[in-house]
Amino acid sequence: MGDSLQSLFVLGSSHNEAPLEVRERLALSTEKLKTLQKTLLEDEIIRECLVVNTCNRLEVYGIANTSNRTEDSVRQHLCHIQGVERELLDQHSFWLTNLDVIQHALEVSSGLDSQMVGETEILGQMKDAYAQAKDENATGSVLNRLFEKSFQAAKSARTQTGITRGQISIGNVAVDLASRIFGKLSQSRVLLLGSGEVGQKTAQALRSRGVADIAVSSRTYENAHRLAHELKGSAIEFEDFTEQLHNFDVIISSTASPGALLRKDAVAEVMRGRPERPLFLIDLALPRDIDSAVEELENVYLYNLDDLSSIANQNLAARKTEIDHARAILKGHAWNLWLQLRRRELMRDV
Amino acid sequence: MRRLVLIGPAAEPRPHHINIGQISWDFSFSTEILIKRNHSSRLPARQKHFQLRTMLRELVLTDRSAFAAGAVIYGIAFLLGLVMLLLRRPYSRAAMFALLSGGFLIQTLGLNLRGAEIKACPLGNSFEIAQFISWSLVLLFFIIGPAFRLRLLGFFTAGLAALLSGVALLVPNWDQPYPAGIFGGNPWIELHAALAIFSYGVFAILSLVSIMFLIQQHGLKKKQFRGVYQYLPSVQQLDQMAKRLLLTGVIVLSAALLFGAVFWVNNPELVPIFKLTATCLIWFGYLVVVVLRIQKKLVTRHHAIASIILFLLAIASLWPVQSAREEPSAGVEATVQPSK
Repeated sequence: MGDSLQSLFVLGSSHNEAPLEVRERLALSTEKLKTLQKTLLEDEIIRECLVVNTCNRLEVYGIANTSNRTEDSVRQHLCHIQGVERELLDQHSFWLTNLDVIQHALEVSSGLDSQMVGETEILGQMKDAYAQAKDENATGSVLNRLFEKSFQAAKSARTQTGITRGQISIGNVAVDLASRIFGKLSQSRVLLLGSGEVGQKTAQALRSRGVADIAVSSRTYENAHRLAHELKGSAIEFEDFTEQLHNFDVIISSTASPGALLRKDAVAEVMRGRPERPLFLIDLALPRDIDSAVEELENVYLYNLDDLSSIANQNLAARKTEIDHARAILKGHAWNLWLQLRRRELMRDV
Repeated sequence: MRRLVLIGPAAEPRPHHINIGQISWDFSFSTEILIKRNHSSRLPARQKHFQLRTMLRELVLTDRSAFAAGAVIYGIAFLLGLVMLLLRRPYSRAAMFALLSGGFLIQTLGLNLRGAEIKACPLGNSFEIAQFISWSLVLLFFIIGPAFRLRLLGFFTAGLAALLSGVALLVPNWDQPYPAGIFGGNPWIELHAALAIFSYGVFAILSLVSIMFLIQQHGLKKKQFRGVYQYLPSVQQLDQMAKRLLLTGVIVLSAALLFGAVFWVNNPELVPIFKLTATCLIWFGYLVVVVLRIQKKLVTRHHAIASIILFLLAIASLWPVQSAREEPSAGVEATVQPSK
């Protein structure tokens, strides 16, 4: 076995080891990331390296020529560049070597190690990190192979298990519900009341699924206008929205109103004019903007923040039950890759 | 006994032609070709062909066994969907379509065999009516399923088709013998019967769509997200489909009643009053639902419930109607013996 492969390593810190405050201190800027990568490559003991830096994790993958002082050296470089105490890093980080590195990379790529199990954003971030390192000639035959294979393994874990099944963000849960009510959303019109952050994200999720039109109404018309511009929609005066309710199929409400904005009789009046067309009401405000008695009305579907969170949590719990299955699949991939890399190293040595 | 017998060239007598409806099937021709080919082939292949001939000679397909095979295939399709749903996975649409196609073809063969025997559309007793409704239901699925891509419709269709077809097979009294030429050789009255029963097929699929609507709506109202709910089509799609099916069914039933009315005007004594009243009431019920739907007074949930109730009433009315028709001819000796 080639010695060099024995010193495949990853130094990392993620939501599993570090609280948010520590992760904030460890997060690298783009410039610092490049500097770290360059410094590591200049160190004669490091052959290849790649840094993954996301909001939830910082990981330094690499392969060293000797395994005696690699860990200490990598930790020192990171602390020096980021300006954090060595103690803090040691307390809130992990160090893996050899086959464990492969298994870890595969689990991270497939979203198994993410806070939201099965989320797909991490795969894109891993790909970006890999592309960046490759452009800088920081990776070589081992890390190239490791990362390319980890992307393939992530795909296979996702298709063979339920780790990505069901939406786990409020916006995507709302989109799924809208699809269950309207089918294709291309004919649906959306009204966003207020400019709350969750409401905006929900509207954006609906926009990305191709809704026909989005209108925004807020007590401050400028806010409504700005948000409408961002969502490529139109703004309507807050005083006028009740008169225009019948034109909309999905109403997202996230205002700071102290009382209910939409009462049962008002919605009943709207439904009299459109009994065949369903109305989907999403109340994301606290205190609630929509009277809960509205859901008694025929063809009206009312969901509040708790309902959407509960669905997201159910989906997340269901994903978690698939972790062992996915991990077993990835173990097979990791072992195969390990054997391949060993074979390559042996050939190289010969 | 109505049956399709596949007989090899060695069997005597050899019915080379079997007439099924308008189609003449020549089975001996194919087996003779098989033997001619055998002369030029080597011995093991010949032996294989002789074995096949022997097997074909043993194969006897009656109309009832065709209906039974059809019901079993529909049942398998339903079970496939059920198992996949319990495993929380979507079933293969291709597999569902293939199974329903297989069941449909065999059921069509069964209807052909029986139709060839009675020389009329097989709608003479409750068994045949149930088979015809089940056949119409699956036919309609083939028309609307691929066009509108309503998820799970194949599963529900397979379930209802298996139920109708299976129950008809399990109740021997439903397949009572009846006099040949029950439609008096009048093609218009035969068309009336076929259209009326076909409209019941439309109403059957309408009730399935309505059930699917109620399940999906229940899930949305009760905030249920997992399980069957995630595979069902949207409530709006289902509601719109129900509206179209209702209109189609009422148009077909109205046409059927129009043809029947022509016969009734000329032969009022031949039409039992109970049958006339029950059929007209069902038609009127559906007509009221159509009018209320167009006026947007009966929509979504209420429309779905009304469609299901009316279909149950329509099905329930078939048997008294059947009994009323059989009463005057009770003394007539049956000339057609359904195969058991």
